Amino acid sequence: MNNYDIIIIGAGINGLTTASILGKKGKRVLVLESREKVGGMASSMEFAPGFKCNVINDTIKWIDPRLIKLLDLNAKGLELVQPEILRIILGENSEHIAFHKDVAKTIDSIAKYSIIDSERWKDFISYIEKLSQFLEKIYELTPPILPKIGIKEILGMRSMLSPIRKHGTRGIVDLLRVAPMMMPELVDEWFENELLRSSISTAGIHHLSFGPYAAGTGYNLLHQHVHGNGLFHNIQFAKGGTERFAIVLKDYAESFNVEIQTSTKVISINTDQNVCNGISLENGEQIMAKQIVSSLDPNNTFLNLVGPSNLTPNFRKQINNIRYRGSTARIHFALSSLPEVKGVTKEQMKTIFSISPSVEYLERASDAVKYGKLSDKPYVEFVIPSVLDSNFAPEGEHVLSATIQYAPYHLRNTEWSDSVKDQLKNNVVDTLQKVIPNIRSIIKHTSIISPLDLENEFGLTEGNLNHGEMTLDQFMFMRPTISSSQYRAPINNLYLCGSGTHPGGGLHGTNGYNAAMEVLKD
Amino acid sequence: MSYKNKFTAHTQLKMSPFFERTSKLNESQEWRRWAGYLAATSYELTHENEYFAIRTKAGLLDITPLKKYIVKGPESQRLLDQLVTRNIAICKVGQVMYTPWCDEHGKVIDDGTVQRLSENKFRITSAEPNLEWIQSNAVGMDVIVKDDSFTTAALALQGPNSRAILNSISSKTLDSLKFFWMMETTFDNIPVSISRTGYTGDLGYEIWMNPNDALTVWDLLIDKGKPFGITPTGLHALDVARIEAGLILLDVDYISSRHAIIESRKSSPYELGLGWTVKMKKANFIGKSSLLKELDRGSRWSYVGVEIEWTEFEKHYRDVGLAPGLPHTAWRTSTPLYFQNEQVGYATSGTWSPLLKRYIALAHLKSKYAKEGSELMFELKVEHFRKLTKATVVKTPFFDPERKRSCPK
Amino acid sequence: MSKIKKYDAIVIGGGHNGLTAAAYLGRAGKKVLVLERRHVLGGAAVTEEIFPGFKFSVCSYVVSLMKSNVMRELMLPKFGLEILPLESTMTPLENDYLIRTADSDQTYREIARHSKKDAENYMRFGPAMGQIGMAVRPILETIAPNPIRPSFSDLSATKRLFDHVKSLSSKQFEYLTKLMTMSSADFLDEWFDYEPLKATLSASGIIGTFMGPYSPGSAYVMLHHYMGDIDGAFRAWGFQRGGTGGVSMAIARSAEYFGVEIMTETSVQNVIVKNGRATGVSLDNGDEYNSNIVISGLDPKLTFLKMIDKSDLPSDFVSAIKNFRIRGSSGKVNLALDALPNFTCMSGDGHHLRGAISISPSYDHLEKAYDDAKYGNFSEAPFMDIILPSVLDPDMAPPGKHVMSCFVQYAPYDINEGWNDQKREAFGDAVINTISRYAPNIKDIILHRQVLTPADLESTFGLTEGNIFHGELTLQQLFSLRPAVKWADYTTPIKNYFQCGSGTHPGGGITGSPGEMAAKKILGAW
Ligand SMILES: Cc1cc2nc3c(=O)[nH]c(=O)nc-3n(C[C@H](O)[C@H](O)[C@H](O)COP(=O)(O)OP(=O)(O)OC[C@H]3O[C@@H](n4cnc5c(N)ncnc54)[C@H](O)[C@@H]3O)c2cc1C
Repeated sequence: MNNYDIIIIGAGINGLTTASILGKKGKRVLVLESREKVGGMASSMEFAPGFKCNVINDTIKWIDPRLIKLLDLNAKGLELVQPEILRIILGENSEHIAFHKDVAKTIDSIAKYSIIDSERWKDFISYIEKLSQFLEKIYELTPPILPKIGIKEILGMRSMLSPIRKHGTRGIVDLLRVAPMMMPELVDEWFENELLRSSISTAGIHHLSFGPYAAGTGYNLLHQHVHGNGLFHNIQFAKGGTERFAIVLKDYAESFNVEIQTSTKVISINTDQNVCNGISLENGEQIMAKQIVSSLDPNNTFLNLVGPSNLTPNFRKQINNIRYRGSTARIHFALSSLPEVKGVTKEQMKTIFSISPSVEYLERASDAVKYGKLSDKPYVEFVIPSVLDSNFAPEGEHVLSATIQYAPYHLRNTEWSDSVKDQLKNNVVDTLQKVIPNIRSIIKHTSIISPLDLENEFGLTEGNLNHGEMTLDQFMFMRPTISSSQYRAPINNLYLCGSGTHPGGGLHGTNGYNAAMEVLKD
Repeated sequence: MSYKNKFTAHTQLKMSPFFERTSKLNESQEWRRWAGYLAATSYELTHENEYFAIRTKAGLLDITPLKKYIVKGPESQRLLDQLVTRNIAICKVGQVMYTPWCDEHGKVIDDGTVQRLSENKFRITSAEPNLEWIQSNAVGMDVIVKDDSFTTAALALQGPNSRAILNSISSKTLDSLKFFWMMETTFDNIPVSISRTGYTGDLGYEIWMNPNDALTVWDLLIDKGKPFGITPTGLHALDVARIEAGLILLDVDYISSRHAIIESRKSSPYELGLGWTVKMKKANFIGKSSLLKELDRGSRWSYVGVEIEWTEFEKHYRDVGLAPGLPHTAWRTSTPLYFQNEQVGYATSGTWSPLLKRYIALAHLKSKYAKEGSELMFELKVEHFRKLTKATVVKTPFFDPERKRSCPK
Repeated sequence: MSKIKKYDAIVIGGGHNGLTAAAYLGRAGKKVLVLERRHVLGGAAVTEEIFPGFKFSVCSYVVSLMKSNVMRELMLPKFGLEILPLESTMTPLENDYLIRTADSDQTYREIARHSKKDAENYMRFGPAMGQIGMAVRPILETIAPNPIRPSFSDLSATKRLFDHVKSLSSKQFEYLTKLMTMSSADFLDEWFDYEPLKATLSASGIIGTFMGPYSPGSAYVMLHHYMGDIDGAFRAWGFQRGGTGGVSMAIARSAEYFGVEIMTETSVQNVIVKNGRATGVSLDNGDEYNSNIVISGLDPKLTFLKMIDKSDLPSDFVSAIKNFRIRGSSGKVNLALDALPNFTCMSGDGHHLRGAISISPSYDHLEKAYDDAKYGNFSEAPFMDIILPSVLDPDMAPPGKHVMSCFVQYAPYDINEGWNDQKREAFGDAVINTISRYAPNIKDIILHRQVLTPADLESTFGLTEGNIFHGELTLQQLFSLRPAVKWADYTTPIKNYFQCGSGTHPGGGITGSPGEMAAKKILGAW
């Protein structure tokens, strides 16, 4: 039975993407997943009787269009819904700005606070779109081996020519200018209204351990807007929950005879003289294959599964130096009734909310990370999935899923414990209360997922949802390390396809797609 | 961290626990820095007597500045086998191995000895600090790595009479202690370990002890050694002896790959004449794959002994009306070597061998020119003018006495 | 009243870069006039006797980044350039200290006292940074090409740089990428464990910037401070005899030797522009001077927004200059002392007083200082880089007395409620209180003190927002983007109007580099 061409470790979106593509190409593929379900970060759970939630991601920002096309995802039952309102930013009082699918409405919403800003909005989003178009092309590339690039690598990057033709070298210059920026720099150039400025800044800090005053948040903002089709804060919901994406991929892969074993934990990747030849399972079983692809993060792949003594000292050091520092937590609330968000109607609730009164508010929240504390006043984003899909909660009841920054994995002088989690919950509820005054009285159950829980449950090192921070020093040819950014480990026959590779995290499958192409090359 | 010496020289340098004695014996007051320590260059006004003590009697050297590390724990042998090029699995308890260690590109970081103190305990000695390197490679292994540099003092006793001197002090005889083996014994109830190792290529021993016992041990040796001609010996004499023995010196003959800055300064074990220490049958060690490739394509450089031919050398001086200008001490300036008009290498250390009566040097040569017997030209400055004089590639060690390895019958 | 005399070139501002540019032009035989607003030359590189008998390097206090070819070409040693070495850097701690000296054995041993691993890594860190500094040098010494509409020479410069970058090793390239993007704390965490060592090294990453050690981008500023060399030794800092003004005076004398005319107390009101072409300058007092070209040694805000009428500039350029970030974050406290400060951790006189004293016990100390500033306050417990010039050069103070120079962060330009005398003194007190934690006798030995806030730096020295580098050293304000894309090669949208201050490539510090490169660019096209 041990005659697989390829073993893929981990059945998250990227692992399944790679499996699907390789299965379609006729390879004998085995996927091993330690959890009892596929999906990884695209999973749902029932956290209280009758209450369901998307464990980590409520929305899908973008999916690699190549993947949609190749696998014909839409026809295979993945239904993505773009809500009318993409996001509502709430201030501390009942002021809010709504970002609509319809740009004219967004402009109206902004105009309530600043006419000048509303007049600049269109220019701003087309500026961001222009820059994102460069990133889109960069994302489809396998990063070159730098600095020794030759003609081959340059030709490999010729797809960059199309955005250059469209926007000129000025476009690249603008990209080089904006990517290293910090949020205040970017918004200073465009807007005056603080609520709007902070709402833009939230995109820069998404899942980062840094605050908006950190250089490089410009890049993170652009990353959120790749394939944004000219919309700021663009999102989609998967009908039936985010996990549908994973299920569709799984069904697809299985239709090409890919074998997917869940509840199967890989405990080591076996190498001999720098050649990878198979894996061992927790039950002692060893499975051989010609090629092994890991969708786990670099820390898990190399230090936990390959083992530090099988790495060269320099590579080991590089792997050790990757920064994770998860500082995002999730809290799911089971609610006895529909929460009343100040100034927002029920119809408007099919969206994602964020509470960010000012850029300084976000920055102050982020200071906590530096000193290993929880933010007293955290930045909170929330979704009420039960208004999108009634299956998420019993009749008349609701679920509110909050994403919280900053709750650092590394706490000083203490460790994650129930009491720390309680404190986190209190801080979050206090914050929510400002915009949902009756929140306290309607909470029936709470499920708190700390970065440590994310590490334990999903194998995310330090609870980082992107398998490594999305910073410029961990971008492209530096992701995960300068010596392994071509989806190949420096160990023969071992490949990487997780979010720790270029172009980083998110439920988009680009990593898995690019990795599959590299696996097929060999 | 300095030892509590009564000697209160106003110095920012470290003083070894023997310094209280050595500082008073040092008639020349010539000191050199060695790993941050004050180390005697020569005790007498010239080093000849000390050199001849090594070769004909016994020289006593303070080698405390050597870096010493203890590696212990169930996986210590595995760690060492990963680290060094020699096969530590076959190193028996009580045995010592000389070995280099490399970075992952197969370039030498340092060289030193590995002593197997017990099944799961080793001592590593080295010229430069290596703690960070050893520790970083021990990640995930069940071992403890400890810097033993300040907790162990060491002396080298080198020369034909060294065994007799130690036998007169040690509670156990050293007669059956073989070359590159070690033993535990006592001197007047003071526990010491003695390894039959050294840096002179002669019969000799190194004695490892607790720094608190240092002065007592020194006094015992000097006292009991007197009839055998024991002589405190400095680094000048040692340098001559080690060149005769063909032994390389870090930062003189090669540069650690961790400090080399540029690629061309790095050397592999093959390029340092240490090919014999690279055990390719061993499962895996740091640098193996690069060294395999090097073995396959051949090394660009070799490290060889060179002898500067006397007649022509003498003639250069005679031509200007001088007697042959032999170097007074061993030299360490890189000196070009030519084949016809092309520079094909450079000597890094050289000396007049007072015993062999030959002018010898150690040199890096492009492998093509490194065959024994190859005739080269050595650059020489005679009365301010550069000359080329004949030199031949010869086998090392230049000096290799039987007694180095033999045991008394 | 307008003067008839016509010059080949007029340089606005007698800062060291303006003087350097003038000297190079004079050396090429041009008739040059330098106009300086203040009564002394040197701008931010100036020595003044603030209190009788006590001389101060009022702003910049140490020299390292000064280009050695400028020193040679302008014969500066002949005109008084004398740089004495700073021997050590000491970080006083509550009950201990960390000192690094020029001797590697001593430094190794001292660091090993705290962490052996760090001591070993430190021995490799210096050379590694030096290598990167060397790798960056050719980039700094290239006139930044215009990426928008590149000329032939822009293309060939780009090609040369591309080839240069390709020649780097993977390791160098990796470090370079990291240094360009990371926070200095994250970068140093990869090397070291011992907090005071890391914090002190990271301090070079915050000097002159509005960033903390944890801010991404600060590693580049650290690299910027590693690019200097004295006698070929990277990262060596020195003290100009007689104070930093001695550097500027040496350049000024060299310029005069080459026939340059220099006028002080002559403030330029604006540049005269006719048909998109600079033809001279007019002064505050109404005088006008004509010249073929005009060169500004001021920062980009003044160079363009003050000196030129907005209507003479393209609007996208005006907004680019408006968007140019120039937030000031540093202050300076200069003390006249009756005796030497006595540090608890290392009492008495000694080597440690001949070097820099860095108040940087931990990342937290620096970062908290930054947090204060981030929200509009000066740091309660600031970071400081202190030197005692009179220990190195007794002429700086009356016999037996001393001067102490404290470079302080953070003091934000945009302080809550604005700067006033009371705030200034409160800031001064925070500085003295912080020093007294380590040298308790400080309060008893102060004879006089001068406190300079960013607002003072702006009003006295013409540094907009008090930014010491004429613009922040962030990735998007470097090289071809400094101060704005298309105009990073010392030219401006106005014909015959050039820029040569620290707001141009390669940036701030006493380097002479912008002045030299601007002059070379101008002469190349003359
Ligand atoms: C407090 C402080 C500490 C520093 N420490 C160091 C250090 O230790 N080491 C280091 O290398 N660098 C240091 N720097 C930075 C360095 O001093 C500056 O980057 C450098 O001196 C700037 O030189 P410049 O010639 O470009 O500009 P400036 O020195 O700013 O010169 C501009 C000149 O223009 C004049 N001017 C302004 N307006 C007018 C006008 N309208 N008409 C005529 N003239 C005008 C000004 O008076 C000034 O003389 C420090 C700076 C400061 C402020």
